[in-house]
Amino acid sequence: MNERFSYPADREARNAARVKALESLLIEKGIITSGTVDKILGYFETQMGPFNGAKIVARAWVDPAFKEKLVADTPAAIAELDLPTGMAGAEGEHMQAVANTPKVHNLVVCTLCSCYPWPVLGLPPYWYKDPTFRARAVREPRAVLKELGLELDPSVEIKIWDSSAQIRWFVIPERPTGTDGMSEAELASLVTPEAMMGVARAMALGAKTA
Amino acid sequence: MKLQHYLGGLEGLEPVQLETRVFVAPWEQRIFGIHTAMMALSSHLEMKPTASKFRDIWTWADLRKGAESMNPFDYFKFRYYEKWLNGISGFFVANGYITQEELQARTEEFSKKPDLGYRPGGDASIDERVITYLRDGDSPLRETNLKPRFEEGETVMVRDVPTTEHTRLPGYLRKHRGVIHTVYPGTYVYLCSTGPDGIGPAMPVYCVQFDPSELWEDAGESNSVIYADLYEAYMDKAD
Repeated sequence: MNERFSYPADREARNAARVKALESLLIEKGIITSGTVDKILGYFETQMGPFNGAKIVARAWVDPAFKEKLVADTPAAIAELDLPTGMAGAEGEHMQAVANTPKVHNLVVCTLCSCYPWPVLGLPPYWYKDPTFRARAVREPRAVLKELGLELDPSVEIKIWDSSAQIRWFVIPERPTGTDGMSEAELASLVTPEAMMGVARAMALGAKTA
Repeated sequence: MKLQHYLGGLEGLEPVQLETRVFVAPWEQRIFGIHTAMMALSSHLEMKPTASKFRDIWTWADLRKGAESMNPFDYFKFRYYEKWLNGISGFFVANGYITQEELQARTEEFSKKPDLGYRPGGDASIDERVITYLRDGDSPLRETNLKPRFEEGETVMVRDVPTTEHTRLPGYLRKHRGVIHTVYPGTYVYLCSTGPDGIGPAMPVYCVQFDPSELWEDAGESNSVIYADLYEAYMDKAD
């Protein structure tokens, strides 16, 4: 029998011990410090993450001029907002926003790896890195979106953005209905990484999926 | 050909699982952090030197080369960060920073005593540089006198370049026609030379539009359009 697809029973414990071994050796050899990894992880908790993207989208929903600028010159528009420094930092050097409309739905993929706009979205979730998503998103986007709970009318055009060079794409989802009285902060809480990559809608709390 | 370069459009796959977690095991965070530190300490960056003993170039390209050179069946077997762990451990051994025996022995030690910590220490200049790198990034934009060969609206033919270990040309676009949608301002280097594949030095990059029904005659879905960002070396003028 072919053993290729069998895993050792202690797969995770083994990986955990091995990465810990590697990190401890790198610290001892003076390559990184005992605080380096934690500082990086902390940076993604507070400075670079989907909380930034959600604020950007919420502003675009309440300010049409900002939204126009965000699509036309993404870095300049982002620079206007009160966000942490580094919004043009690692994996955000060249970001581009695309806006959904009732007639156009945008979907972002990286078929070759997992390129993702770190400053505004943080790190990519597993579904985005999944070879199955990467393989299918370009050829059968409608079927993929339907499986994920987003059924689009056939009249809606799907634009798929394959991140194969320097641009890191993200999506401005449509503002959900029934959110008229909401503050910008409340609106931001409706915006998920999935909505900003185009596999979900931004949803008013309590609303059912499409 | 390498299957990893031809993922886009692969058929016969299962439904997509919406796993929204970034890390599915705590150890994955550690290897992500190590990779990011290596990128920040890479010798190609024009940044203030630190006390770190790291002396090599390490970029996304190095991680991708590792993943793209894997046996394709192993590529699908291992989880995202398992591939990182294998590639990065291999790099440190191959380049003489650590030995396989050291890594093995230390792994055994931590396997037996998972709660064992490690000695604190290290020079503050290292962590300062890591944070500066995250804030400043490493833009591939370079000002040159090169003029773009193609203009917006022009039809191009994607080349089937002789890729060796690494490429930024998705396989499903090779030998197909596309239309230039955007000519990006400036010129862009890639993180390394990909040899006969053709990228590395500064060159124009374009957003190119593709009609899925031209890529796949039996695509079965309609009303979609694909945009990919392609380096100029990957395209010829269409006949």
